[in-house]
Amino acid sequence: MKSNFLKLVLPAFAILLAVGIAFATEESNLMQPGYADTPSGPLPVQTDCLDEGQIQCKAGAYFVYKDIDLSDPLYEREE
Amino acid sequence: MSIKGIHSKLTTLFSILLTLLFVYTAVSKLMHLDTFQLRVERMPYIASYATLISWAVPFLELVIAGLLWFTRYRTLALYASFVLLGSFTIYIIIVLKYSESIPCSCGGVISALGWKDHILLNISFMVLALLGILWSKKQYNIQETQKSVQ
Repeated sequence: MKSNFLKLVLPAFAILLAVGIAFATEESNLMQPGYADTPSGPLPVQTDCLDEGQIQCKAGAYFVYKDIDLSDPLYEREE
Repeated sequence: MSIKGIHSKLTTLFSILLTLLFVYTAVSKLMHLDTFQLRVERMPYIASYATLISWAVPFLELVIAGLLWFTRYRTLALYASFVLLGSFTIYIIIVLKYSESIPCSCGGVISALGWKDHILLNISFMVLALLGILWSKKQYNIQETQKSVQ
């Protein structure tokens, strides 16, 4: 009886906990709007790149910036 | 408590931890599938399979997490966990060694870890899966021996 109870409750608890944590930490996965520096001018793109870092973020072959003036570069997530 | 009892309880504990890891990472990916796909597209060597990978990985993770709770399939699920974690770890090691840019395709709080910590986390879970496999096999052998004696 106890064994059957645990067999049902333990996985259900683990799954609920994991789903809960996934929703609680949702923010770290969000995208932000950016602008790719294409030959035809700034192109709006959705990116998950960060404001700070070392390697400049790219969308395809083009560097991505935070602003439409292409003055504030975005950086790759390295970690 | 007998050694067999401890091993059985530890295998259950490892299954809980692997379920937490797989369900958490799968749900994190599925909630923002487009972001995950975008990140895979930027990963070296596997970019051309981004669509397939972005669906297959969370699907596999959920299937493995489910199978861990069916006694009949637990060993299979532990093998699958070991292989999945192992493939990812080998891929990270190859990328770290040979690629210049290494964008992160991880999700949730795991993205706060560095690549080396990520490898350590994966290896720790691989060890849990391996111990689970060994102890499940031992338990199966003991049960078979008991059956043949009776």
